[in-house]
Amino acid sequence: MKIVVGQGSCGLAAGAGKVYDAIKQNIKQNDSIELKVTGCIGMCYLEPIVDIYDNGELKARLVKVDAKDAERIVSAVRENELNQLDDIKITADDEGFLNQQTRIALRNCGIIDPTDINDYIANGGYGALKKALKEMNPESVIEEIKISGLAGRGGAGFPTWFKWDAARKSKGETKYLICNADEGDPGAFMDRAVIESDPHNLIEGMLIAAYAIGAGEAIVYVRAEYPLAIVRLEEAMKQAREAGLLGKNIMGSSFSCEMRIKAGAGAFVCGEETALIESLEGKRGMPRLKPPFPAECGYNDKPSNINNVETFANVAWIITNGGEKFAAMGTENSKGTKVFALTGKIKRGGLVEIPMGETLRNVIFNIGGGIRGDAKVKAVQMGGPSGGCIPESLLDTVIDYKALSATGAIMGSGGMVVMDTSTCMVGMAKFFLDFTAKESCGKCVHCRIGTKRMLEILSRIVSGKGKEGDIELLEELCYAIKDGALCGLGQTAPNPVLTTIRYFKDEYIKHINEKKCPAKECAELLTYTIDEASCKGCGLCAKKCPAKAITGEIKKPFEIDPEKCIRCGQCKIACRFGAVRVE
Amino acid sequence: MSEIKLKINGKQLTGTSGETILQIALKNGIEIPNLCYAQNLKTYGACGMCVVEAEGSPKLLRACSTLAKDGMVIDTESERVVKARKIALELLMSDHKGDCKGPCSLNCPAGTDCQAYVKAIANADEYEAVRIIKEKLPLPASIGRVCPHPCESACRRRLVEEPISIAYIKMYAGDALLNANKHYLPPIAADTGKSVGIIGGGPAGLTAAYFLRSFGHDVTIYEAMPKMGGMLRYGIPEYRLPKKILDAEIAEIASMGVKMKNDVKIGADISFSDVKKKHDAVLVTIGAWSSTKIGVEGENLKGVLGGIDFLREVSLGNAPDIGKNVAVVGGGNTAMDACRTAVRLGAENVYVIYRRTQKEMPAEEIEYEEALEEGVTFKFLTNPAEIIGENGNVKKIKLQIMQLGEPDASGRRSPVPVEGKFEYLDVDTVIAAIGQKVDPKGFDGLELNRKGIISADEATFRTSEEKVFAAGDATNKGAGIAIEAIGEANKAAYVIDGYLNGNLIGYKPAYVSETEVTEKDFADRPKQARVKMPQRSAEERRKDFKEINLGISKEDIIKEAKRCLECGCHDYGDCKLIKYANMYDIHPERLKGEHHPGFVEERLISIERNQNKCILCGQCVRVCAEVAKQGILGLVDRGFKTVIKPEFNDPETIKVCADCHKCADLCPTGALKIINNN
Amino acid sequence: MCECHEKSDLSLIEETLNKYQDVSGSLITILQHAQDIYGYLPTDVIYHIAKRTNSTPANVMGVATFYTQFRLKPVGKYLILLCKGTACHVNGADRILGSLCEELKIKDGETTEDGLFSIKSVACLGCCSLSPVMMIGDETYGSLTPEKAIGIINELKAKEAAK
Repeated sequence: MKIVVGQGSCGLAAGAGKVYDAIKQNIKQNDSIELKVTGCIGMCYLEPIVDIYDNGELKARLVKVDAKDAERIVSAVRENELNQLDDIKITADDEGFLNQQTRIALRNCGIIDPTDINDYIANGGYGALKKALKEMNPESVIEEIKISGLAGRGGAGFPTWFKWDAARKSKGETKYLICNADEGDPGAFMDRAVIESDPHNLIEGMLIAAYAIGAGEAIVYVRAEYPLAIVRLEEAMKQAREAGLLGKNIMGSSFSCEMRIKAGAGAFVCGEETALIESLEGKRGMPRLKPPFPAECGYNDKPSNINNVETFANVAWIITNGGEKFAAMGTENSKGTKVFALTGKIKRGGLVEIPMGETLRNVIFNIGGGIRGDAKVKAVQMGGPSGGCIPESLLDTVIDYKALSATGAIMGSGGMVVMDTSTCMVGMAKFFLDFTAKESCGKCVHCRIGTKRMLEILSRIVSGKGKEGDIELLEELCYAIKDGALCGLGQTAPNPVLTTIRYFKDEYIKHINEKKCPAKECAELLTYTIDEASCKGCGLCAKKCPAKAITGEIKKPFEIDPEKCIRCGQCKIACRFGAVRVE
Repeated sequence: MSEIKLKINGKQLTGTSGETILQIALKNGIEIPNLCYAQNLKTYGACGMCVVEAEGSPKLLRACSTLAKDGMVIDTESERVVKARKIALELLMSDHKGDCKGPCSLNCPAGTDCQAYVKAIANADEYEAVRIIKEKLPLPASIGRVCPHPCESACRRRLVEEPISIAYIKMYAGDALLNANKHYLPPIAADTGKSVGIIGGGPAGLTAAYFLRSFGHDVTIYEAMPKMGGMLRYGIPEYRLPKKILDAEIAEIASMGVKMKNDVKIGADISFSDVKKKHDAVLVTIGAWSSTKIGVEGENLKGVLGGIDFLREVSLGNAPDIGKNVAVVGGGNTAMDACRTAVRLGAENVYVIYRRTQKEMPAEEIEYEEALEEGVTFKFLTNPAEIIGENGNVKKIKLQIMQLGEPDASGRRSPVPVEGKFEYLDVDTVIAAIGQKVDPKGFDGLELNRKGIISADEATFRTSEEKVFAAGDATNKGAGIAIEAIGEANKAAYVIDGYLNGNLIGYKPAYVSETEVTEKDFADRPKQARVKMPQRSAEERRKDFKEINLGISKEDIIKEAKRCLECGCHDYGDCKLIKYANMYDIHPERLKGEHHPGFVEERLISIERNQNKCILCGQCVRVCAEVAKQGILGLVDRGFKTVIKPEFNDPETIKVCADCHKCADLCPTGALKIINNN
Repeated sequence: MCECHEKSDLSLIEETLNKYQDVSGSLITILQHAQDIYGYLPTDVIYHIAKRTNSTPANVMGVATFYTQFRLKPVGKYLILLCKGTACHVNGADRILGSLCEELKIKDGETTEDGLFSIKSVACLGCCSLSPVMMIGDETYGSLTPEKAIGIINELKAKEAAK
């Protein structure tokens, strides 16, 4: 019997480390119980998750496990009485979260032990590399990728084969393959999960790509905020090197490739490929002018190819299974599957991989289980700071690069943040502008000053100081920045504003004209009062009020002084009788 | 290397492969605005100014970095391009903090570059000072004496202690040249064959003549009075502006070849239509020469005079008999001139009747003080109710006692009569110095406004008649101060020049960047009092018409000039940012917001850095690293907070700095200033 | 020489410099090591790195101030990284930040007087399903409420007091 504890970042944050330790303590020397770790299965909302295998077959999946459960888990396994654990087993309903997915990039995540290369190899790992090196030439690898229709999963959706082909055809002895693992889009974490849970899949995909373009050196640029991913990838690279899968004459072929990790230092703009290159060179991550494109003149002024983690995570599967099988999934112009990080006000949040062409509604309601508290969906945010908010009325939009762009949002790297009616859309636009303004590198005028000015306008709108003409001014700035900014960060920064104006203009107008926030989220536009009839005079609200704005006599209705009230909402949270009204 | 054929703005051009659109455009004299491009530096692409539209390209292209391709069709000024540049400029200006020009210059109706000529005087270069003054006004010695100097009211030195004595610096510069018998006159363009008739030889007419003549036109001034000078001669008493100074400055203008015809009155000596026939363009600068009536009983008595009529008669040598007791009604500068003239004519009791208090008086404070010194009695809060006569002569004036009521539209508290309270003064003469009117007699056909003043377009100065222009006191708002008339005349001269060249373009004030400062900003400045103008004693000066001011010494005037805070930007003339801002009609105020962290920084050997003006084009950083090979300057922080910083706190850095000035030379704004390192 | 007041033990960074000073493009890595060693980037260390890597202080300073990971001032013993990612925003990260700041009486980016805590809001930590999230040291805390967040701080305070 084998007990496997999920130890991705999410799991660890939920306490998987303590669960693992507790189980380990309970296993006695003479128990024939193997304890292993695995990565993230993607059901983050159920973490910590413990799987029990017998002869390689999953016997039970335990969810929301606590360290206190360790003793009975071990004893149930020891006695092979797994029904003792029924109360913490995953429900059939929750199983639906996984069953409705098609996993390619995530195929090993949460299943194999990411710290053990043999586990990967046992699951068919490095077979694709072997096939490429022994049976294919670089051109045929590129051809296979072309057939698959794989497009860049980082956001722009550029055909992968095209970039590889351009880099391959670029003149020069030295070429570089770079993996963009600077997953900066707030709300997306699939790349982290892949590296933490299946690092060899990334290494294998990169090696195949390096072989295809003729690169002798590969670099993974990882966010510094992902320490666990760095540790696991380093370990995996070490194991691969020892197994002759990295370095000189890989698998005895004439293909040699070194690989190293470069930890980023915190700059969203480094997700832009030329900024990433600058950063790799040890400089400020400020984008370069394009052209020349990296395929011609990239890292160290040499031809370079950059793809993101998820893109590489599909490569080995495509080589093994053939491009056609990949292309069979999806729509006319979007092939294969896509991983989404489903978060926000969703019941079942986590990583979801589905074939292109499914509707957003399907993802949110069937896989994600709908909204917490069964509230109404207001919008779903896709593409992070570069994307937009898609309203409920467009949830039947299919997942497809073109269809999503038509809504004003983008496919993006896969962040899918679901919002209910309690989220203010102007506030949302401000949130993203705050992000882009902070992350702007400061080089070009449009992004440096333009996003700042947009943020200022949005800030005044949410604080009740909006002016007539602000919406038009925002739109004017949006189009100017889209047109004038130097790089993708700036060019797409207006998207969250444009989509919220497009679909939720009435909310903007209410903020500006009536000084009201329909979602009741913008603190400065709210008025707190106590409903006399409902107030029991317990005084709890007054105790909690940090501004000492609430006064009254016990057992008589209390009152809020609007002058002193700082609209923090503590009273509303504290009141057990629902007597605090917010308008 | 292969040849490329492309079209820019419809022009077929050739280039070499590897050249950018910008390089080809610049080589062919097509200007594409740019703020971060420099020939010897790697392309950067930050400013977004050089965008152009290419046929078939959905996006605007940055001309600095886009390689020209064969067959390209480029438009560098399309609607979309202009819109993009405008917003780029608006964004830049919204984050660019600095004063293009000093408040002195901005507040001068003629826009004289006060800071520049003050600096010239600080450098003891009177000739240069006069040259600078004469870019806007050709009468420095005269105007320096009489101007109520709006420049000084705006001067920021007042936030330290007192404003710079700008007017007297101008007077000094003008005098210095006249005394040395040196003259600055502008170069005169070749004769154009066009002629301009100017009606009225006052400050406006003389100014317009000066500039129009310098443009090469044939200029004739028609003056109704016996001599040129207008109100400067006939409205300002000798003790303030000696006639010989005015004569000298008028002679300078005459020496340029301006024809001056005195004693020619339109409608009497020559008809308006004859003047129009004689010239290709006519400028009417006839001033406002009628006194406004008080409007009380007794106004027609003998001994009731209009203020300017009185001053004019005195100037002409026909001083009327005013008796011993004189009441001057009004609180403006004409009233001051009138009362002080009355003192000099021997009146024993001179009263100024003013219906408000001294605080509200429009006259210059110094004029009031000097009048007081000379023995004038001020009757504040009184207003004439009736002039009482005897045998047809003035005998008494009945004054209504007033008090101040609510502030009116102008913010001044308006006077209201105290019911039934009166005062009587025994007077021989009443001088009504309460206003001037335009007398448009003889100018048939010119459209007048509701007040009976000649209507002229605010931007083109054109009247209702095609080739007739008008400026100064005779137009629109009516009488003002001389420098306003001069300012209008200067602008009108340029407009008329354009008109004569077939290209009439109205005057448009230049867009400038301005900042607001307070006392706090100058808290650490050492205080240094303003230099005083030496004067004759009141006792002495009240007896004659000799000039009361004795003039400031060279030493003192240089000291005074050195007090200047130099608010205006040293780079105004060369600044690319402001040049573009004025090329495109921008409104950065709509994007007003926070500024990036700004500071004026210590000196890098001999360069002063003002981060407030920096637009982060990065040229200094790049030239220091790429060309000077020093790498002393660097970008610090990121996004909106980005600033450029050299490592000053390291003395080693200073040693590394080659003091090559390459950074300052490239700076497109005034952020880097080369200073004397001593 | 640098005239700043800091006098750091420059020998600590020797090993890193020997390893990386001649490897081009290593500046960020060197700075990361330096921050691990000193807890932040002291000015004298920046000057030292500039000298040894044949760069200029302006360049090193430029890089050090570009990336959010680098600090030019020491931080508290416990650095609270509060996630401000989208999911955390939607689930009330602002409220958590507000209550932490109020509890510790500091603003975002500041350090408590006793040098124990610093707060820094950061872009996504990648634990969106547990939002709102904060990270202290290597430990990630999820599904926060203001009370829960303050509770965690108080536990750490108690731990320190017990020492």
